[in-house]
Amino acid sequence: MAAILELKGIRKEYPGVVALDDFSISFEEGEIHSIMGENGAGKSTMIKIITGAIPADCGKVIINGRAFEKLNPAISKENGIGAIYQEFNMIPSLSVAENIFLGDKTGNAIMPDFKFMHRRAGEIMNELGVNIDSRRMVGELTTAQQQLVEIAKAIGKKCRVLIMDEPSASIAMAEVENMFRIVRQLKASGVTVIYISHRIDEVFQISDRVSVMRDGRYIATKPIRDVTKKELIAMMVGRELTESFPGRSAPAGEPVLEVENLSGNGDFHISLELRKGEILGLGGLVGAGRTELAKMLAGDIRPSSGEIRVNGRSVRFRDSSQAIEAGIGLVPEDRKLEGVFLNYTIEWNIPVMSLKSISKFGVIDFAKAKALAEEYSKRLMIKTPSLRQLVRNLSGGNQQKVAVAKVLAAKTNIIIFDEPTRGIDVGAKQEIYRLMNELAEQGMSIMMISSEMEELLGMSDRIVVLHEGRVSGELKKEEFSQERVLELSSGI
Amino acid sequence: MKRFFDFCRRNLAWVLLAVCCLIFSLFSENFFTVRNILNILNQNAYVMIAAFGISFIMMSGEMDLSIGYMMSMTGVLSAIMSSRLGLPLPLVIALTIALTVFMSILNTLISHMLGITRMFVSFGTMTVYQGLSFIISQSKTISGLSAGYKYIGQGALFGSGFTFALLLTIVLGVAVSFVLNKTYFGRYVFALGGNPDAARLAGINVRKIQIYIAGVAGAFLGIASLVLTARVGSAAATTAMGTEFTVISGLLLGGVSIRGGEGKINGCIAGILLIGLLGNGMQMAGMNVYWQFVAKGAIMLATIGFDTYQMQRRTAQLNARKESA
Repeated sequence: MAAILELKGIRKEYPGVVALDDFSISFEEGEIHSIMGENGAGKSTMIKIITGAIPADCGKVIINGRAFEKLNPAISKENGIGAIYQEFNMIPSLSVAENIFLGDKTGNAIMPDFKFMHRRAGEIMNELGVNIDSRRMVGELTTAQQQLVEIAKAIGKKCRVLIMDEPSASIAMAEVENMFRIVRQLKASGVTVIYISHRIDEVFQISDRVSVMRDGRYIATKPIRDVTKKELIAMMVGRELTESFPGRSAPAGEPVLEVENLSGNGDFHISLELRKGEILGLGGLVGAGRTELAKMLAGDIRPSSGEIRVNGRSVRFRDSSQAIEAGIGLVPEDRKLEGVFLNYTIEWNIPVMSLKSISKFGVIDFAKAKALAEEYSKRLMIKTPSLRQLVRNLSGGNQQKVAVAKVLAAKTNIIIFDEPTRGIDVGAKQEIYRLMNELAEQGMSIMMISSEMEELLGMSDRIVVLHEGRVSGELKKEEFSQERVLELSSGI
Repeated sequence: MKRFFDFCRRNLAWVLLAVCCLIFSLFSENFFTVRNILNILNQNAYVMIAAFGISFIMMSGEMDLSIGYMMSMTGVLSAIMSSRLGLPLPLVIALTIALTVFMSILNTLISHMLGITRMFVSFGTMTVYQGLSFIISQSKTISGLSAGYKYIGQGALFGSGFTFALLLTIVLGVAVSFVLNKTYFGRYVFALGGNPDAARLAGINVRKIQIYIAGVAGAFLGIASLVLTARVGSAAATTAMGTEFTVISGLLLGGVSIRGGEGKINGCIAGILLIGLLGNGMQMAGMNVYWQFVAKGAIMLATIGFDTYQMQRRTAQLNARKESA
């Protein structure tokens, strides 16, 4: 078999990070080739380079024997590369057929040829063995159906190599089988599918070959028959833990937060406990229910069943204010969207969750507000010339500190960090880690959701791993290993 | 020099106001007289009061287009209460304010129920209120207000051109400024406008605050409607038509962002006065009424453009800083 797509010696550097380093890989015609690697291994950078979304610093992409040094999205498409991302790229208010031919010229200069569009869309659907009326609006379809339309769209554009980025993440389990059937059909018609997934079971079900990436480097490609799950995980984690984590020795106290059989939006049944003075790491894949759990604990999503107990007392939160009153604060995943008020000053942001308690008859005691802002910005070492600085002008790390300060100032003692160091530079990461340790030593309890293996292993006293809405295992400090966390995340 | 420009940019409405005053006083010697200045202030008192109310809505990131007809309808109703039903003044005032509070809260409740922004709700309700005000007034002008009622808009203090309405405006302006800057309710208004998601997670009950905001805005609209009716001395379905335009463009000129989360009351006052002054100036210059519409519309677009430009520039600066970091 001939290689239809090859990457040779690709290097891509972002300020401060090498995303891909001397990366070479080759895909054969008509194969289903899975790519595995941890977060930050460089998978998305690889996709972007293949689709021409970003240029490589050096190296070349060879499509069908033609070498390209400067690829752009148009050239990539012309040469038969297609990609389906987690976020679909369709217009909900247009019909299936119109979406399939979006951007293609059919008919004459004035009128698109709808007849042709519907006929051809119907043909493609037939080929795929999918039963979706091409006249229906995309917005009316289920997510799984929309995904099929995305595939049809790629076929309509005569795509020879189809990249699928986490295709199973957004659809239900039952629908994955159908998607697999179609992927196999694509393969039978000679299309190469590059299948990117965190879910190891799927990779074994669907792929012909699997390649592993780690830290922006190519590790190995193996026929799927020749590897076991454990071997694959071992290849993924061969990574050295370079970052150092501040040490800490604190005995955990009595449980302060207990969660029993909690479920909310979707199929979750989560039970766990958090003890006084400990840092509990919460591992698992995206979509395992970690963020939902955090939002239920913070009162932002109402659980549909199950129980939350704070200091032994059963609680039911109507909104976030009640969770804060009970002492639970959330430092959300998306700092800019949910964590801070970018357009306001530090002085404005820090007391915002405690305003009621520092007000008399509704009038804010500004001396107290200022004192709070000063106290917490000092304690968290927020680097700024003045407290009157707008938060939008701070670095990512300092913005995160403001988000934390806000929560701390509200006198919470259970703090949930959702991806605490995402998008923060190395130095600031260390400061956030040190801060978390300090808080735990002062007797606060911390729950940390993290997709970064190093952080999870380095910071936690105990790790609970979620898999598809359930706790798949708990690891004590002495049992910590990258393999175990990955295995539990994959439900092995 | 840079400081000077910064000052000008931050107080754009005041600077423009000063420039306009200067130009007008060059062209007309009657312009810069105590009499004319007081006249302009008195004329715009009700617009400023309405703007105080709407500023809460706009600063929280929402918008309302129905305020003009809301005021027309309550104006007609309160005129009927005063002249035909002969209700005592305090009752008329209380009922009028209660009515606008109810109408304003209704807009917010509908927006919560339908899950759309208040602006689109008001698009519907403005037509409803328009229709109702014609029906209630039977397309007639309702006059014969009690003397006490008229005093709200026309009563002069200290035997000068300084009206009771103007005093009321000043008192309310101070109150609004206090609420926005010194109370936690005011902070919540800005929190909603600045980042509704972060506000929700910070434990702010977004819907509840939105209803409070609607109530406060409604109360101001009620007072504005009383002042307007009293000043004109009668009420008709068309009396307050177009107030929404003057208020919104005045607020935008005064530095309230169309995206919410920004604005100061003193800027709002300058913005409203500027719009009023331009109207007054164009009138004095003998400009055709229809051309005045064209000019006002153009000014509104220019203001929104300026607001957006500033926003984009800020974002660009920030990105540039990130690149270099």
